[in-house]
Amino acid sequence: MTTLDFISVRKTFGTNVALHSLDLDVREGELITLLGPSGCGKTTALRIAAGFEFADSGAVLVGGSDITRTPAHKRNMGMVFQSYSLFPNLTVAKNVEFGLRTRGVAAAERHHRVAEMLELVQLTQFADRYPHQISGGQAQRVALARALAVQPRVLLLDEPLSALDAKVRTTLRDEIRRIQTEVGITTLFVTHDQEEALAISDRICVMSQGLVEQLGTPTEVYRSPSTAFVARFVGSMNEFPAEVTGRGEVTVAGHRVGAPGLGETVVGSKVSMLVRPEDLSLGEGGLPGSVTAVTFQGATTLIGVRLDTLDLLVSADVGQGAADRLQVGDRVSALINGSNAVCEPA
Amino acid sequence: MTDQVVHDSLDQDPPTAPTGMAPPSVGRPNARFARLVPNTVLIVAALFFTLPLLALARFALQNVPTILLGWSTLFDKWSLEPMGRAFSDDVFWASLRLSLKLAFGTVLLTMLLLLPTAIWVHLRLPRMRPVIEFVTVLPYMIPAIALVAGIKLIKPHARWFLNSDMSLIPFYVVLALPFTYRSIDAGLRAIDLRTLVDASRSLGSGWLGTIRRVLIPNLRTAIISASFLTAAVVMGEYTIARLLLIDSLAPYQRILVGRDSQAGYGLNLLALLATTSLFVVVSVLTKKRDRKRKSFAYAAAKQASSQEHHPE
Amino acid sequence: MTETLVVKGGRTDGASPSARRNFAWIGVVPFFAFLFLFLIVPAISVFWNAFDTDKGFSVSAMKEAISGQNRDAFWFSVRFSAGSAAVGVIFGTLLAYAAATATRPRWLRSTVTSFSGVAANMGGLPLAFMFLALLGRQGLLTKVLSAAGLDLYGGDFELGSELGLISVYSYFNIPLMVLITLPALDGLKPAWREACANLGGTSFTYWWRVGLPVLAPSLLGGFLLLFANSFSAYATAAVLTQNSMIVSQRIGFFLGGDVSIGENAVGFSLAAWMIIIMAISMGLYWIARRRAERWQS
Repeated sequence: MTTLDFISVRKTFGTNVALHSLDLDVREGELITLLGPSGCGKTTALRIAAGFEFADSGAVLVGGSDITRTPAHKRNMGMVFQSYSLFPNLTVAKNVEFGLRTRGVAAAERHHRVAEMLELVQLTQFADRYPHQISGGQAQRVALARALAVQPRVLLLDEPLSALDAKVRTTLRDEIRRIQTEVGITTLFVTHDQEEALAISDRICVMSQGLVEQLGTPTEVYRSPSTAFVARFVGSMNEFPAEVTGRGEVTVAGHRVGAPGLGETVVGSKVSMLVRPEDLSLGEGGLPGSVTAVTFQGATTLIGVRLDTLDLLVSADVGQGAADRLQVGDRVSALINGSNAVCEPA
Repeated sequence: MTDQVVHDSLDQDPPTAPTGMAPPSVGRPNARFARLVPNTVLIVAALFFTLPLLALARFALQNVPTILLGWSTLFDKWSLEPMGRAFSDDVFWASLRLSLKLAFGTVLLTMLLLLPTAIWVHLRLPRMRPVIEFVTVLPYMIPAIALVAGIKLIKPHARWFLNSDMSLIPFYVVLALPFTYRSIDAGLRAIDLRTLVDASRSLGSGWLGTIRRVLIPNLRTAIISASFLTAAVVMGEYTIARLLLIDSLAPYQRILVGRDSQAGYGLNLLALLATTSLFVVVSVLTKKRDRKRKSFAYAAAKQASSQEHHPE
Repeated sequence: MTETLVVKGGRTDGASPSARRNFAWIGVVPFFAFLFLFLIVPAISVFWNAFDTDKGFSVSAMKEAISGQNRDAFWFSVRFSAGSAAVGVIFGTLLAYAAATATRPRWLRSTVTSFSGVAANMGGLPLAFMFLALLGRQGLLTKVLSAAGLDLYGGDFELGSELGLISVYSYFNIPLMVLITLPALDGLKPAWREACANLGGTSFTYWWRVGLPVLAPSLLGGFLLLFANSFSAYATAAVLTQNSMIVSQRIGFFLGGDVSIGENAVGFSLAAWMIIIMAISMGLYWIARRRAERWQS
């Protein structure tokens, strides 16, 4: 069983608490993404797993055995770095071979394995190229092949796509996921890009300032964010003031909106309501406003609406048909579906 | 000092992020041991580089012959007087004046020759830059001692020019070329030359005005650095001066030692301190400029991507 | 700045782009002319006179310049220059490594850099006098050593000997190496070190298979530069010693009118050979530096 467990891991750098007390269990074959902004502790957690930092307290287990104090080069983990990690003086093939050589694997076996790995990442014809002769995306694929060549127990990826062009990013991220599922390796992935996280993860661990905000599947994190931070960080959100008018009910600019996720609140208190664009629609009987922008995004169109009674911009997702008819300045009315909304005390 | 290859911290980019040397797992028990060797190296180096200087200072400023030097006489007869003894010699002043004139002339000629050329290459001939860079290595291939052999051969053929002491100036320009060019080149790379020139021209300024009012002020650090370095080199140049029998400062420094060793050593000490100060000023100026430029670039890079190995 | 008002590249003559490109090289003519006149022409005349023996135009002087005592001098000079360079490379790299990896105190690295910038250009007279004051017959350290029982001048030692020159020249060779090596060390990406550990390699593995190979062009280039630097140095040695086994001194004696070196053409041949050796070393240095820069980015 190659699971990866963080148990109450705590890490401080001087006065800065990078991780308060991280508890995380990565199941076998699972890809968990640590998602959050700079400074949230995700990279620290990864580096503790890799052995480049050591936890102040707590434990890290792989397959049940305690590796908290094991030095990095004895951990048998594969790691893909953000950039520039290929050894520049070695060819692609020799890079991939590196871990096998340190383990004293025989030459014939090494060559076989290298060929297998290059095949896996579809870079067989680049075997004799040097790192400065290949593109960024190709380099990251080589890095992946190199990490997997030694058949590690766990795969760690430190924002491997951040330094790449947008187009390359999407293709490579899908390929990483494909390879990961094919090989079935337990994986910890770090990124600040929520789109990436949503696309490839089995579960996402959203972090902020050394704490875990939410741990759940992409659907859970997106549709049912447990805190306002998660709601704002993942996907886009509309945010506007509302007043609690009853149990599971708020009033937005005079209109009543059902909000089952409201929780225990005092009637009459002010909250900030966070609603996704796709939970807003344009139709009769909603809040009146006028169109300020029509942004075509390919599969969807985003409509910017300025409500008459609120000095806020509201984005709504509409289907293609309706969007085609709208123009800036048109009078519309916005309907709010509060069933997935997150409310935060104002 | 002239025939030494002149290098400086000008072609250094100041350090930004931590370098890739430290072993990955910091804070382990043998981390302190890992510092033992480097720290020893640093201490030994510090000793090696300060002792000769101290010895020079002692010889110059303490009027006790080495044979008599012992614990009891360690603090006897120290005085700053030998350093200034040369000042009473007219020959000293003459040689100093000559060296200053040569230095000034060399700096002037260097700027007149290099600034337009460097700007031209940056603007119009970017592909020539590798060629020019190679050309600036050329003076190393023909060191001062060989150059002066050639000069001696040419002398009879150009008596009208080469009989004056000032004829040394173009050769000094050549000698200083490798690092003056690099200094100005570094300065040009630090500013966005193309944009500045375009902006200035579009606002109606001619080429001369652009150079005078836009480029030179922005290249101040590079120009000052190059000038100071050139001056240091010219003031200390011995090889060519001696073999062509020019009475500049460096040959005098040697002659004085022969005549009055303490005064001579004192003068050499003074010269050393003066040159060192010039270099230190250059160092400080360059670092200030680079730090300003790097801080912009660094801040931009920080915003663009999340940090790689800093604690999060 | 609006697009329409920008005058691109100072084009005012309205000439077509291709025609303009053809004439751009005129701007560097003064520079090249100057170099030709004041660097190339003296060098050419040295070679010219090296071949201009009293037997007419021949290589006999060039041959004589590397035979007999002259050959011994070249051999000696190459030896001590290589020795100087080796010492400079080893200690310079160590010092650069120490400075680059030091995290406390924070001013350490910039101090080392600034100092190296100053000391690398040290040479000529002050350097000679510093070492005369330290290790000369009346030197401070000489005295200290003799008080401790070691008579420095009891044997063959003098400052112009191989050992003496290596010691003195280290004063500028080591800092010079530091200046070259610091950026090279900076070019060693942290990710390489970590990737190596991650793949099971120890510190030794890293340096042996990645670190040193990547640094090799810089180290080699450094060696060549230090070699050339030591070989061509004149002023310091001129003050320190009368050793005629140093090629630069030999040339100096000849040019200063010391006739014992031999006939005219031989003297210039010495200088010509020096230029050849310098050209080869600096040429190789140039190649090594280009190689090093490729990996530093």
